Amino acid sequence: MSDGDIPVLDAAILAELRDATGGDAEFIVDLVETYVTEGAANLEGILAAAAAGDPVSIVRPAHTLKSSSASLGAMRLSAIAKAIEEAGRAAVSDGLKEEAELARATWLETLEAFAAAGLRR
Amino acid sequence: MSPTRALALIVDDSAVNRKVLARHLESLEIASREAGDGLEALEILRSGGTDVGVVLLDIVMPEMDGYATLAAIKADETLRHVPVIMISGVEELDSVVRCIEMGATDYLPKPFDPAILGARIRASLTAKRLHDLEVESAARQAELLQTIQRQKDELSRFLSPQVAALVSSPEGAHLLAGHRREATTVFCDLRGFTPFSESAEPEEVLDVLREYHAMMGEQIVAHGGTLEHFAGDGMMVFFNDPVLQEDHIERAVRMAVAMRARFAELDAAWSRRGHHLGFGVGIATGYATLGRIGFEGRYDYGMVGPAVIVAARLSSEAKANQILLTERAHAVIADHVDVDPVVEVALKGLSRPVPVVNVLGLRDAASVGAGAR
Repeated sequence: MSDGDIPVLDAAILAELRDATGGDAEFIVDLVETYVTEGAANLEGILAAAAAGDPVSIVRPAHTLKSSSASLGAMRLSAIAKAIEEAGRAAVSDGLKEEAELARATWLETLEAFAAAGLRR
Repeated sequence: MSPTRALALIVDDSAVNRKVLARHLESLEIASREAGDGLEALEILRSGGTDVGVVLLDIVMPEMDGYATLAAIKADETLRHVPVIMISGVEELDSVVRCIEMGATDYLPKPFDPAILGARIRASLTAKRLHDLEVESAARQAELLQTIQRQKDELSRFLSPQVAALVSSPEGAHLLAGHRREATTVFCDLRGFTPFSESAEPEEVLDVLREYHAMMGEQIVAHGGTLEHFAGDGMMVFFNDPVLQEDHIERAVRMAVAMRARFAELDAAWSRRGHHLGFGVGIATGYATLGRIGFEGRYDYGMVGPAVIVAARLSSEAKANQILLTERAHAVIADHVDVDPVVEVALKGLSRPVPVVNVLGLRDAASVGAGAR
């Protein structure tokens, strides 16, 4: 399965999260806001490490972005971040910049999807 | 709910993940605190202000990752009992195995299933609470043992060491309840004590008694006697109970002879102070009933029997420095003691006169006692 087949936002996961956390829409909106702040910082870390050709320092921001994206159902970005994390762990620097650019584009798509779902303030 | 209720400490560098987990816990009515990395987590754990019942630990974190945090917790004597649950994605199972080998209790796979989450965290909180209770009860037990030891020590200052030991021994209840046994009773008191106590200052009387009790007490302990009571200048000591002593008659006589020798030293000092006192002893042997005597609130370990009465009467009968021993008791140890010829003594309350000897001294050199004729 290529990244393109994975939904930017998995509505089922979001619905599950909302149910499991008490069906409180305000909480999800709040969480998305935290995600945006935190995700932006992680994305910056990924872009900087990729620009420096440093696979070791790309692992941690990629791992965190993978994990927090998955929590909110941002599955496509999570998959891309996971690929970057794995490349970083394997110390593969080839193609890191392209992957990082893909992450940036998907990040923007993700933010739009959240907005479209009425989850951005 | 108790204000010191243990809470879960969430350690994850992702604020999103922390918030999601905290929210899950909240719906399970489990309070939580959050830390962004291992250093922050250790700070909270070591601050002591928070009762952390379980640590939920992410692996990949900046500053101090999950492995280092786990290792630090397990290396800390005061923290190692706090259960640690690793939070991990399904693809991180290898890391989870490593953490469990390092001492982590369990792991929680992401995304969280509320039922599993609740069950695992509650199990860990319970384990922590049980551990705390165990520590608390061990401390309480140590305190209790200390109290018992202190009571025993206190008790042995008031009771004879044998009785103090008996009270806390397994067969104590049975012996205290009362039993019959052959025993040797020694009564001793001071001649001339009543006129002395009437004429001397009370402080002086107490000083004399204190010296006398201390010196005689040493001899009682040295010979393994059981002190039944002190009453002014009088003392009653018995042998062969509660500790069995095959040579109880000989022990009683040896003690009396030793006491007489020590009394001579005291007497020399008292004479210089103008006090004229004498020491008399009565010893009898026979079957008696021994055990707890008294009433609720004040019990003594005591002895009742004709030998007790005979010994008491002989002690009153004895002149200064005499040790009067019934002929019946003397017959058993005749080879070991030098005595005056047998005399028949009429004792108050007894229908027939009692054959008695005055002990002059012991035949072996081990105990020395100068007798008075």
